[in-house]
Amino acid sequence: MTKIVYKHIHLENSHTLAVYKSAGGYQALEKALTLSGDDIIDEVKRSGIRGRGGAGFPAGLKWSFIPKDDRAKYLVCNADEGEPGTCKDRDILRYVPHQLIEGMIIAGYAVRAERGYIYIRGEFYREAERVQAAIDEAYAAGYLGDNVMGRGVRFDLAVHRGGGAYVCGEETGLIESLEGKKGQPRLKPPFPANIGLYGGPTVINNVETLTSVPDIILNGGAWYSSLGVDKSTGTKVFAVSGHVNKPGNYEVELGIPLKVLLEEYAGGIRGGWDNLKGVIPGGASSPVLTKTVCETVTMDYDAISKAGSMLGSGAVIVLDRSVCIVRAIARLSRFYRHESCGQCSPCREGTGWLSQIMQRIEQGKGVREDIDLLLSVAGNIQGKTICALGDAAAMPVVGAIRAFREEFEYHVEHGRCMVA
Amino acid sequence: MPTLIIDGKEISVQPGATIMEAARLLGVYIPHFCYHPQLSIAGNCRMCLVEVEKMPRPVVSCAMPVSEGMVVKTDSDMVRKGRQAVMEFLLINHPLDCPVCDQGGECTLQDLAMKYGPDRSRYHEHKRHERDYDLGPLLETEMNRCIHCTRCIRFTDEVAGAPEMGAVYRGDHMQVGPYTSRPLTSELTGNLAELCPVGALNNKPFHFQARGWELKNSDGICAHCAVGCHQRVDHLNNEVKRVMSRRCPEINQTWLCDKGRFAYDGLTRERLQQPMVRSEESNQLVPASWAVALDRAADLLKRFKPEEVAGLASESGQGAEELYAFQEFLRHVVGTPHLDHRLRQRDFSADEVPLTRADLSMNTPLSQLGKADVILLIGFEPRYETPLLNLRLRQATLAGARAFAVHPRQLQHNLANLTQLVVRPGDEVAFLDGLLQELGSSDGHRSALAEAWQKAKQPVLLLGNYAIHHPQAEAIRRCAVALLERVGALSTQWNGFNRVAGRGNAAAAQDLGVVPHRDPGYRRLERHGRNAQQILQGAANGEIRLLLLLGCDPSIEAVDTSLARTALAKSVVIYIGAQQTPAAEMAAVVLPGLANGERPATLTNLEGRAQRSDMAVMGPVQAKEDWRILRSLSDRFAKPLPYNTREALQARMAAADHRYALDGLEAGELSAACDHKPVTAGLPLATVATSKDGLLLVVEPPFFQDDAIARRSTILAQLTLGRSALGTLRINPEDAGKANIGDGQRVRMICGERNVECIASLDANVPAQVVFGDMGQRAALLQDLCDWDGGFPQVSLVGL
Ligand SMILES: Cc1cc2nc3c(=O)[nH]c(=O)nc-3n(C[C@H](O)[C@H](O)[C@H](O)COP(=O)(O)O)c2cc1C
Ligand code: SF4
Ligand code: SF4
Ligand code: SF4
Ligand code: FES
Repeated sequence: MTKIVYKHIHLENSHTLAVYKSAGGYQALEKALTLSGDDIIDEVKRSGIRGRGGAGFPAGLKWSFIPKDDRAKYLVCNADEGEPGTCKDRDILRYVPHQLIEGMIIAGYAVRAERGYIYIRGEFYREAERVQAAIDEAYAAGYLGDNVMGRGVRFDLAVHRGGGAYVCGEETGLIESLEGKKGQPRLKPPFPANIGLYGGPTVINNVETLTSVPDIILNGGAWYSSLGVDKSTGTKVFAVSGHVNKPGNYEVELGIPLKVLLEEYAGGIRGGWDNLKGVIPGGASSPVLTKTVCETVTMDYDAISKAGSMLGSGAVIVLDRSVCIVRAIARLSRFYRHESCGQCSPCREGTGWLSQIMQRIEQGKGVREDIDLLLSVAGNIQGKTICALGDAAAMPVVGAIRAFREEFEYHVEHGRCMVA
Repeated sequence: MPTLIIDGKEISVQPGATIMEAARLLGVYIPHFCYHPQLSIAGNCRMCLVEVEKMPRPVVSCAMPVSEGMVVKTDSDMVRKGRQAVMEFLLINHPLDCPVCDQGGECTLQDLAMKYGPDRSRYHEHKRHERDYDLGPLLETEMNRCIHCTRCIRFTDEVAGAPEMGAVYRGDHMQVGPYTSRPLTSELTGNLAELCPVGALNNKPFHFQARGWELKNSDGICAHCAVGCHQRVDHLNNEVKRVMSRRCPEINQTWLCDKGRFAYDGLTRERLQQPMVRSEESNQLVPASWAVALDRAADLLKRFKPEEVAGLASESGQGAEELYAFQEFLRHVVGTPHLDHRLRQRDFSADEVPLTRADLSMNTPLSQLGKADVILLIGFEPRYETPLLNLRLRQATLAGARAFAVHPRQLQHNLANLTQLVVRPGDEVAFLDGLLQELGSSDGHRSALAEAWQKAKQPVLLLGNYAIHHPQAEAIRRCAVALLERVGALSTQWNGFNRVAGRGNAAAAQDLGVVPHRDPGYRRLERHGRNAQQILQGAANGEIRLLLLLGCDPSIEAVDTSLARTALAKSVVIYIGAQQTPAAEMAAVVLPGLANGERPATLTNLEGRAQRSDMAVMGPVQAKEDWRILRSLSDRFAKPLPYNTREALQARMAAADHRYALDGLEAGELSAACDHKPVTAGLPLATVATSKDGLLLVVEPPFFQDDAIARRSTILAQLTLGRSALGTLRINPEDAGKANIGDGQRVRMICGERNVECIASLDANVPAQVVFGDMGQRAALLQDLCDWDGGFPQVSLVGL
């Protein structure tokens, strides 16, 4: 299968400029600099690539929102990778940082941003070092700086390490944090494309999105869109974790059947396919899919969404029959309670409430009414918050009750898990 | 202008306006907690949800800009459900202790819970407990009640410019509170209690004093400085319980400063309760009936030739009615030309030129100050003279204006962009003259100030207390006018000349002729009477035999207090006023008057806006309105004052000066500001002198103690200005080192024959070779060292 973001990952010292260049690196940049910014944006639009950070917003369209005024513009790479289960960006940062840098220079050139930042999750200490070393190499080689490849284009790039808050992965929370403030998401509108970092128009993209850009420029948007399926073009890295025999990051074309991903790539379910209980298909905030759905669903934005969940960041969390759903979701609820920035009332109060009810049920102190109360509280959070974290906290609870209500009922009635 | 429909009503608003703002214009109420018209948008409470057609989710109206053709519903099913959800979230961790909460009865959370809250709780988990904080003498905290709306944080950051509040931790552990464990330092702290939508930040002096619904309210105008903020005075059983702001976009927006809000407890302290006369046998003041006291006063007044009688009035404690009656009584009943209110003024040379109101007050309305692009403060510390005027300046600097201050020391300020030019006392005229020369010359290197001034489109210049009471005040004023004239900023489109006479009702005293050279309405007199200095000098040397004092005490306030004491001792004093003061103790007759808040009054603010203030509480039983005292006294003369009612007096006042024609104007309604002639330009500039050598003393009025009521407030007494304690002598550490004086040490300050003992405090903001002290401190009356004509006293210090 065609690989894009991980295609050089197996090479020895793939993180160095020398190896990256010998594998054809920075040719896309050279080509891009002969094109106009709008041509590049059109090419990216043609590729159909959607943001790989979670929301799946078409990248080319996002770039085209940047106004053509004379304000300073910024490009920000979201390398916060905080969504539980997700670890796909990490391997890009570790092994092919130059491919990300090349993608960022092209993106910066396309939207006339002369400054870029890579906001790296605080815990990715070694990764930040790797990326910094690659940036240093790129400066020395003239890919970054005042005169990119001698073409009179300016692009500066800097790494910023986060402090370890999930909410700083939310794009406007990230911007606040980058500006040195408390990481609290901003109200939208205005959107970052108009008023973003330091008040300037800002493009913010996920690591994987930006790392795909060089190949799109080199081979053309049409080539990229020939991969994958309609409206979910290209390749995607799925970070498969949980009860599979070979957990890991797999870059595959979008639209691959989930069953194929799990059985053929991830080495199959522990104890065989029939031991599968459910799959969380797109990171912690996506509702869990039951085994029945997993039999047939394909891994693309539309199919997963039709199945009632989200492709999200592509973190596939596999749960076998040994898992108590109540316990699993209680743990997630605790995560969201801990990570809520506390700014808006429904999320600040609601995540705490959800988590406490889940905890109670898990500890066998729940009552029947608690299950509907969970649905009601989750519903009351949804759609009323400043950022999507509130929804993200609500959805797994709602999804789990919808799919596995009997386990919740068992818990409140018997005071213990249905699974042994 | 986009047009939208809210609840079936159509409205067009400015592009960029929010749905909330449009709804407010339409008079449609949308429930809210975090939204505040004077603060930035936080959008965090989520209470203001509305439904917008074609949008799948409810939107927060406070943050959503309107767009053409929007159809908004503020009370649909979706909206009600959304608000119920938000309300429940806000209540789950709330203690619901309304019965013991000061906010009870006037709480947004309580009110909206009645409308949208569930009748029983579905929340059976742990309720959060928050710690409380010591925020100083003005605020009581009960942080369990906090709903995290961040109004307090935004206020301190944005409005007060003292970013001392913040939110730490996140999620449901988020804690709102001060960053440090020190009390808040802002002079606007009291606003936090008013703007907190719940009972988390409470007015400490009001804590447990009354329930909101028991209180009666009166519409007042603050007279503790001349901004003239609109207040609501809350009282119960004839006692003022608290003071709240009333919204007035032109003046105070929605704020009050702490002086205006908390001075009220000084109202009832040290009051004169009944008329008194000095007994011939015991030489003591003894209580008397009104008839006896008035007869005695009239006898005394008649005992001397009219020219031997003089009057001095307070500019901070009296209504326009009192001031008008005072001058009329002296001029037309007694027949003396000697009267003044300018006890703090040193330079009276301006009395010789025909100045008008425009020359003596502000010409840029408060509401326009925010539009200034260059601000020049001369002898003006706006933050601690006129706090709410300062907010306008701060707004201007936040919007990009540059500010410059010419002052004898570093200002305490919260302006965003201020360049401080410290000029030695006495060198101001030379400095301004230099600036004028710079503007005139085309060559060479210009100072940043000259550069900015030359380029300014809408400059404002403000003369403050120090400039007005400077020994060369008139020369400074003329330089100021010339500076503005140079850049064309004295036109009808933009007049940047502002003389900020910042005390109480000083503008009314000017308008109504409580000066020796003008009648009411700025009609100049042929024959000038004596000014404040000459009156006291006359009294000291026997040319003036009787002093009629209206609410003022020269022995505390005058430029030269030792002269004032001699004057009071040598003359017969009739004291009309509300408070016990040393001057009243020396009087032959004491006639107890009423204070602001105890009678209706007309107060003129520094923009020249005459405003009516209502009565809130009754004063001491026997005390009378001061104008009525004068009226009764005049009955004992051939030509009594021709009015028996306040209305008749007001009509007469209005006839003398049309700016006081406020017919039908209720308290709280706004009159016109700045109805002025143009500023007088082209007067000759003074020749430049230089300052004296040696250590110079500057005496400054202490902000929180600058009028009779504030001085007696125990609440205000707990506040400092973020500087050394009241009554200390502030000295540069190097000067102190040279004189071998340590911080907190007792020193004797000597000037010629005179000397005063006081406590030194070292202050790095004080420049070398100048010391600063507070005016009117009974423990150490620094004005004892000030000879009226001698300029800034040259002093020496001896450590004790
Ligand atoms: C609570 C929250 C956390 C998020 N964390 C991340 C993250 O760690 N990495 C990321 O790329 N996007 C994250 N996102 C999504 C970003 O807000 C944003 O959509 C994304 O960075 C845009 O890039 P893309 O268009 O390339 O996907 C998060 C969103 C939310 C609401
Ligand atoms: S939804 Fe949660 S994380 Fe997002 S802004 Fe509101 S409180 Fe913060
Ligand atoms: S203390 Fe009051 S004003 Fe401040 S955040 Fe809490 S509720 Fe809002
Ligand atoms: S600014 Fe002046 S008028 Fe306003 S509240 Fe303070 S003292 Fe009173
Ligand atoms: S008032 Fe709009 S969110 Fe608080």
